Amino acid sequence: MSASLEKGINALKEQVDSTVASFFSSCVHCGMCADACLFYTETGCPTATPIHKVEPLRRIWKSEYTLLGRVGKMFGLTAKVDDELLSKWETKVYDHCTLCGRCSMVCPMGIDIALLIQKTREGMAAAGYAPESLIGATKRAVTIGSPMGVKLPALMAQIKHVENDTGLTIPMDVVGAEYMLLLSSMEIMNFPEFIEAIAKIFTKADVSWTISSEAFEATNSGIQIGVADIAAELVQRIVDAAEKLKVKTVISPECGHAYMAIRWEGPNLIGKPFSFKVRHILEILDEFRQDGRLKINGKEEQRLTYHDPCQISRRGGVIEQPRNLIDMFSDNFVEMPDAGKMNWCCGAGGGVSTNERADKVRLKVFQRKKDQLDEIKPDAIISACSNCRIHLEDGLEEYNMDIPLMSLTETLAEHLE
Amino acid sequence: MTNDFKKKKSQKEQTFGDVMRSQGVSRRSFLKFCAATASMMAMSPAMIPKIAHALENARRPSVIWLSFQECTGCTESLTRAHTATIESLIFDHISLDYHHTLQAAAGHAAEEAREAAMEENYGKYLLVVDGSIPMGNPGYSTIAGISNYDMLMETAKGAAAIIAVGTCATYGGIPHANPNPTGAVSVNDLIKDKPIINVPGCPPIPVVITGVLTHFLTFGTIPELDHLGRPKVFYGQSIHDRCYRRPFYDKGLFAETFDDEGAKKGWCLYKLGCKGPTTYNACATTKWNNGTSWPIEAGHPCLGCSEPDFWDGGGFYKSLSMPTENITQTAIYTAAGAVAAGVAIGAMNKSKKNSAIAAHDKTTIDDLEK
Repeated sequence: MSASLEKGINALKEQVDSTVASFFSSCVHCGMCADACLFYTETGCPTATPIHKVEPLRRIWKSEYTLLGRVGKMFGLTAKVDDELLSKWETKVYDHCTLCGRCSMVCPMGIDIALLIQKTREGMAAAGYAPESLIGATKRAVTIGSPMGVKLPALMAQIKHVENDTGLTIPMDVVGAEYMLLLSSMEIMNFPEFIEAIAKIFTKADVSWTISSEAFEATNSGIQIGVADIAAELVQRIVDAAEKLKVKTVISPECGHAYMAIRWEGPNLIGKPFSFKVRHILEILDEFRQDGRLKINGKEEQRLTYHDPCQISRRGGVIEQPRNLIDMFSDNFVEMPDAGKMNWCCGAGGGVSTNERADKVRLKVFQRKKDQLDEIKPDAIISACSNCRIHLEDGLEEYNMDIPLMSLTETLAEHLE
Repeated sequence: MTNDFKKKKSQKEQTFGDVMRSQGVSRRSFLKFCAATASMMAMSPAMIPKIAHALENARRPSVIWLSFQECTGCTESLTRAHTATIESLIFDHISLDYHHTLQAAAGHAAEEAREAAMEENYGKYLLVVDGSIPMGNPGYSTIAGISNYDMLMETAKGAAAIIAVGTCATYGGIPHANPNPTGAVSVNDLIKDKPIINVPGCPPIPVVITGVLTHFLTFGTIPELDHLGRPKVFYGQSIHDRCYRRPFYDKGLFAETFDDEGAKKGWCLYKLGCKGPTTYNACATTKWNNGTSWPIEAGHPCLGCSEPDFWDGGGFYKSLSMPTENITQTAIYTAAGAVAAGVAIGAMNKSKKNSAIAAHDKTTIDDLEK
């Protein structure tokens, strides 16, 4: 079996529901979504207008589910979805959209354009128009267990380092633990300090936690590429592990789409409610703060700002928690313009960072973040998403800006008593 | 220019300014008239001195007034001013060389006056027409043995412009009403090669006539016209839009009969057949009889007399949009039909989606490449 236009069209047909129909029939073509999208504002290219990116899905809705469209189709008047269209739209859907959802916020008709793009990707992927590197990452996620190809021995090696450095134990596969921590491959390979920070904080907070050796990967390539079947399979692995270990709460790490995938999409993907809670690490840390489990020693002197990861702030609702936590160790905090739910995307979410073809454009649209930073001139940036962090570092280097990036969890751990 | 010299001028050479001074009109009240005219015709205040200057120096234009199938109501409306106004002075000022209702001469003598005026001012005189022209039989209406049609066509040839006054001259009016026994037609049905200003109304408001004349005297051109050839400044808005009873319409407060509580309270007359929403005229703003009142203020619905075929509109007291009698039943059938169609289309869409889901092959990593 292989991808084909027929499968792509069928997948798009499956995506049309009453929500999609009402979205398309209510679009007034005002173009406000264009100015909300950094791929439009930074490139000035009208084809980057968010609602324009979902044209394949719109055509299927129009020609298959509307009376006028069907009549038009009989006379060959309704625009078709064909290989030419899909190959033209591939870059628009995968390279020029980070699923950040800022367009959905400004739409005066309340259209969730990011959702429509996600649905359009379902058709693109089934028709064989997903970017090469995303296909590769998805294959590794399914076969190896991690999009970056990180296997259990690699994790165990990093854990051993952390244990040697700190003298703390990282609890693996503990049945009945309160919390089960997930990790992104990026954290395992590039930021093992995150594991160290968690170990410190959870030990001080005196709570029971564990990592599953069977499902430690938090990211979900199926969500990014747009294949619900694969996304569901990846979610199921976590659900199986959490149920096996009988944990009460699964913690999504400092990763944007992983949180969206497991918390908001997860139960829909597998078709039943979870038997456990899912929380973002920042939500857990803020609970610790409220319970008085975190004792802080000393404050950061430098001027700090917080970059809101789209899937965590705008689409996840975790906005107050990071600010509460930063307040614990900083008196010199400054907000970026448009901070919070309207923050601008770093430019590399939604699979764009994995997609090598989009390297040039993601660095170009970083200009928007640069403008935001130029306005407040912070000494350091704090964030809570490894993907944002990697891309922000790339961007800052590209634009010759010397501002260090810090993880919120790691910075908090450094200031523990 | 000395007074002595002015006196020597013949009557026809007098300007409007001369006439005014001889009538003892102060410059102040003349300028007030110019300002009122400018605002009435929606001109900028900068136009006031221009109007004053132009009027003051305007020569008496020759006017020929033809009356055909009419009731003389239009002439009555224009000449029955209560007091001597500057509007009436304008009438005094124009050289009304032929108007068979007003002139002393009759028959052939009168026709000679018309022919003389035509010859003397060929290409420059204004032709005013009231009344419709019978085309069924030329004998239906004649003057000195000349049919209305022949007289109109002959006189129109040398006219600078034509003003059709009253609904009969503009649309055929009451003679034209079904079954139109005389085959009555309007001026612009017959004449296509001259500028025609339609001033409809049964009768039209006097100030509208003088406004059009002032415009012609001031600028030597005709004012901007709407699609029915009416000056936009007077016929640009509907009676309804300018009606002082409009707030009651907006609130849904209607008089149901002529003597009910709503009628006494001055509520909207829409349900009593008021044609205000479809009628374009200046009654609501200029009113009648020197601004005393107008039909709706007197408690009667607008008849729509400045619109074509107002006499054949299906009853003056029938509301513009009476619902059909079976409105409830019709609505129920329509709603039921719409629901059925919605259900059917919904079912079709649902089955299409279900078949798409049925056709779904589970996508695995091997299915991602072509």
